[in-house]
Amino acid sequence: MNGLYESIFVNPWPWWVGGLIIGILVPLLYYSENTALGVSTGYGSVIKLLRPRSRLKWLNSKSFEEGPGWRIFFLGGMILGAFISARLGGRPLLTGEMGIFTATVSWSPLATALFFAVGGFFLGLGARIAGGCTSGHSIHGLANLQISSVVATIGFLAAGTFTTYLVRVFILGGGG
Amino acid sequence: MGRNTTFLILGTVFGFTLSRVGASEYDLIYGMFTGTDLTLAWVMITAIIIGHFGMRLLNLAGGKTRRGEKVSVKAKPLKSITIVGGLIMGVGWGLSGACPGTVLAQLGEGKFIALGTIAGLVLGTYTYALLVERGSDSPG
Repeated sequence: MNGLYESIFVNPWPWWVGGLIIGILVPLLYYSENTALGVSTGYGSVIKLLRPRSRLKWLNSKSFEEGPGWRIFFLGGMILGAFISARLGGRPLLTGEMGIFTATVSWSPLATALFFAVGGFFLGLGARIAGGCTSGHSIHGLANLQISSVVATIGFLAAGTFTTYLVRVFILGGGG
Repeated sequence: MGRNTTFLILGTVFGFTLSRVGASEYDLIYGMFTGTDLTLAWVMITAIIIGHFGMRLLNLAGGKTRRGEKVSVKAKPLKSITIVGGLIMGVGWGLSGACPGTVLAQLGEGKFIALGTIAGLVLGTYTYALLVERGSDSPG
């Protein structure tokens, strides 16, 4: 039984298991709530939660007519699910590691977090202009053969590849 | 089961899966974009194919939700600015080694640097709301 526990909760899953479950979520979200899989609009719900009386047009558009709404529960669930995964997998409760980045760069945690915040800013702004992120466009949109998702995904991958090249050469010193 | 409970459970499944398959690992995103580890590319390709045939199956079964409503898939509009947004988002993906979904899995796992990425995401989304206020782009 020990081997079974480890392969479910400790060792990383093979790619096809993850792809299978994430793929099933697309029709399952429609079947249960008639909703498209998507995450990035949820950050608008977070703002709605922090500033419920904001008069900004976008924060009062159709996506937020119920207030912060269901998206907060979906995003909260995602944090909870990963928390459960880390606990059952025996991972540390808190860690400042970020893979090869923190292993190579010897910045303070605050400086590292600020650098990642710049990345987050582009993620948030870009996803809204594109109308979705990896979940909404690249998984849900491509699964439903939507042309705008093809365009957005080409943008994600092209800029992601180029930016990672710059990070590799100029920040990680060409390592990796 | 209520709407919010359903979203909480499905979100938990999503976050758990992202964490177990390693989508919350900086190195796997980095490996995908440098071509040295394509695990996450295969995860996405599998998810797209399964999602596609899952939707076909749902339609074959009558295209109804569990409450009997007709399933409605709204196409995201293609605008000339979609590619610009895609490129901006991609820059963020490369810089942070996360996307708006996987960063939540990072936080849940206790990777506190993710708080920086999330703060940036909220700020970037707020900036979009300010741009909509000034510009002619219709709120979406």
